[in-house]
Amino acid sequence: MVATTVSSKSAETSRKKRIQSLEIRKISKAFPNIQALNDVSLDIRPGEILAFMGENGAGKSTLLKILNGDYQPDSGSILIDGQPVTFPNPHSAHKAGIRVIYQEPEIIPWVDVPENIWVGELPRNLGFVNRGKLNQRVRESLTEYGFENILPIDLMGNQLSSAQKQLVEIMRALKSGVSVLALDEPTSSLTDEEVTRLFTLVRKLRDEGVAIIYVSHRLNEIRRLCDRIAILRDGKLITLQPLSELTQSDIVRMMVGREISEVFRGDSRRTTRTVLEVKNLHSNWHRDISFHVNAGEIVGFSGLVGAGRTELAKVIFGAFPRTSGQVILEGKETNIRSPGEAIMKGIGFAPEDRKREGLILIRSVMENTSIAILRQLSRLSFLRGALERKVATSYVEKLRVVTPSVEQPVGKLSGGNQQKVVLARWLAAKPKVLILDEPTRGIDVGAKAEIYALLEELAKQDIAIIMISSELPEILGLADRIYVMQNGRITGELAREEATEEKVLALAMVDNLSVAGDAATS
Amino acid sequence: MSATTQDSLPKVTPARSPGVGLGRRIANAIGSDNLSLLIALAILVLLITVVSGWFGMDGGDKFFSWQNLMNSLAQAIVIVGLLAIGETVVIVAGALDISVGSVASIGSVVSASVLAGTGAVGGLMFFPTDNVFFAVVAGILAGMVAGVINGLIVTVLRVNPIIATLGTLAAFAGIAFLLAPDGKPIGVVTQPEFTWLAQGRLFQDAPIPPLGGVAWTGVPFLTIILIFVAIIFHILMAYTTFGRSIYAIGGNENAARLAGINLNRVRIMMYVLSGGVAGLAGVLLSARTTSGNPINGVGFELQAITAVFLGGAATAGGKGTIVGTFLAVIIVGVLNNGMNLLGFNTFVQRVALGLLLIGAVAISQWRQSREAKARAK
Repeated sequence: MVATTVSSKSAETSRKKRIQSLEIRKISKAFPNIQALNDVSLDIRPGEILAFMGENGAGKSTLLKILNGDYQPDSGSILIDGQPVTFPNPHSAHKAGIRVIYQEPEIIPWVDVPENIWVGELPRNLGFVNRGKLNQRVRESLTEYGFENILPIDLMGNQLSSAQKQLVEIMRALKSGVSVLALDEPTSSLTDEEVTRLFTLVRKLRDEGVAIIYVSHRLNEIRRLCDRIAILRDGKLITLQPLSELTQSDIVRMMVGREISEVFRGDSRRTTRTVLEVKNLHSNWHRDISFHVNAGEIVGFSGLVGAGRTELAKVIFGAFPRTSGQVILEGKETNIRSPGEAIMKGIGFAPEDRKREGLILIRSVMENTSIAILRQLSRLSFLRGALERKVATSYVEKLRVVTPSVEQPVGKLSGGNQQKVVLARWLAAKPKVLILDEPTRGIDVGAKAEIYALLEELAKQDIAIIMISSELPEILGLADRIYVMQNGRITGELAREEATEEKVLALAMVDNLSVAGDAATS
Repeated sequence: MSATTQDSLPKVTPARSPGVGLGRRIANAIGSDNLSLLIALAILVLLITVVSGWFGMDGGDKFFSWQNLMNSLAQAIVIVGLLAIGETVVIVAGALDISVGSVASIGSVVSASVLAGTGAVGGLMFFPTDNVFFAVVAGILAGMVAGVINGLIVTVLRVNPIIATLGTLAAFAGIAFLLAPDGKPIGVVTQPEFTWLAQGRLFQDAPIPPLGGVAWTGVPFLTIILIFVAIIFHILMAYTTFGRSIYAIGGNENAARLAGINLNRVRIMMYVLSGGVAGLAGVLLSARTTSGNPINGVGFELQAITAVFLGGAATAGGKGTIVGTFLAVIIVGVLNNGMNLLGFNTFVQRVALGLLLIGAVAISQWRQSREAKARAK
């Protein structure tokens, strides 16, 4: 009835009883093949910004999802002001005043900003939405936080950028009174200007007594913003202490921490014959990429998720377009415009997501193996059935794919065996350059070892191998050289002898090159 | 089924070990999907010939006679059969071609028009009139051109195949009328060589005993054409790189592209094939009805699509065979034929056909979800 202004609304919110302490006690969570969280305990305090850091897969996202009610912990409890609570779904977490802002929040595409913010609780008059009141409220709250120019309220959901979507989600949290606000890598898609505004907002909320969890890979940002830091590694909490007590190299060391695993390759045998060379390549995702791969060399590409490694593989393979730059294959400049052309020129690519991009799950092991070389297996486009079966069977046996027959639909095999079928396809194609994107993701230890041995054998046959991997031990153990990517650029090249986990991670996370050099030499 | 049992198996074993019995080998060769179609067909025939009698319905006894099998049934399935064969290629690739009925109408008008030397095409074309060969080729070519148009709309304009061919279903139906002189049918009754395509019979002298009190009448030439086209398409789908590409695209478009398959080229080719067969169906419709009529093909797409799904194709693509489609065409034919014999009117038959389409797709969906569950384990 009475038009409540937003400022009084937010005053009302802060008057509402805020959570005084949120405690996570001994939480564990397992998924098939992985212990995502192992006995993690920490406390989150009002009026403080707590940084969450850790490598890919360290357990940060799982913890956020438990706080948000997306996942249930296997054991352990969450305590609010000393009372144990459970969040069976995100709604119950929201009601308790806990909000997690993901990178891509749920936005309704066909309604405008005010309705997206107030969805579910639109102010009404006799059953009709009171647009005037709605727009006024939203405009005032945006002005209060200095976002009125960044988030025009007449935009539709599908016109919003990632940054604007995050703002909508934050506004949703603020309007219903938030005690704990978690931000999952909020700045990865923001401009500098937007980052500054966001930091102002976050600090303001902290000063109002909101507890903030800030997940980021960017060390400089963490330094500027956060009070305490929690470092996770392999599902365990490594440290929880004031940020001022730690140096940058302390943080990197704690994130990496684990024993450097055993070296996979005996000797580095580099040849000097360059098979693939990329010069000054630019694309939608990349700026000025230059690198080369020699025959018989395994070159690792390291970096955080979103650094542009998968996209780079697809650009080279002709699946994504490039805007400029040269791709030189065996000394000749080539213009590859489609995967078909790439394969004809001797490039193979085993994608990261084998179920969506690698395999045709409902078709047989044989068809999946032969698909890239149908031309060689046919005469006048009639398939030579016996030859196809012989070739497929020989690679299936060579890679020890466990399957009742080559007729078996590949979707019925285990993850490791599916990956072997992808590799069988590319071995059969006899490429000069083989690009492997996360070749051991989601497969068990035994199959991993077999795949490592296979890569080594392929390198001995003088195939130039590019291996994209987020698992540092794998890259350090197998690669002759490592390129590290960050945000669409190559930030460094490390030879096998000088590469360490700390150096790779420093190159992958730094915000600029000067810090990189600094961290890499420390 | 589960991954763990797979892991415990020894390495590759031959698909056919010598210990397997003959019955199992035959069943394997037919395939479980096709076996269930054969069983369904047997049950349907039993319902028509035996069970109907228990309910006091007459006419079921006429089913097993040469008159019925070789005249009514064998001829009735040809048009739907041809359209379904072309449609199988498109559906296995994960798309749809709803326009086949209208393409058949175009094929019908164009072939009659070339033969009679009248109408838009016949008037301007350099084809000699009264030449059966050129009339047939013109009908097929017209269908292929329609297919190119479908293919370009789907690939270049990136229109969803259902919407694209729904649009061309309407547009091609209109074009069929525009191609006919004043929109009227073109009579070809005076060209017996042409109408023989539909009315001719082969193997009339074969020493085959009478059935159901009717003497052996030979096999309709129409049916021979259907079988010939089915064999060609079976070879195309099962033994060529093109067929492999179709199954790959239908099974997983992204993976097929990253394995080097040129999606657009394969898609255009499949619509050309579907259009070409529909054009041939149109030619045969002209021969059977003795006129190139723009309404000749109307409504056939529904039966064709029904047969493909009934034949075991997956709605998501990547699955389906010409053999399965062929068996399903016979089932649809027997269903219509049986209902005719038993005196059900055409409205009841339409209801039955609609239910059959829904039932066939429901079974296909159920199979897909069951397989997806088995994979998830």
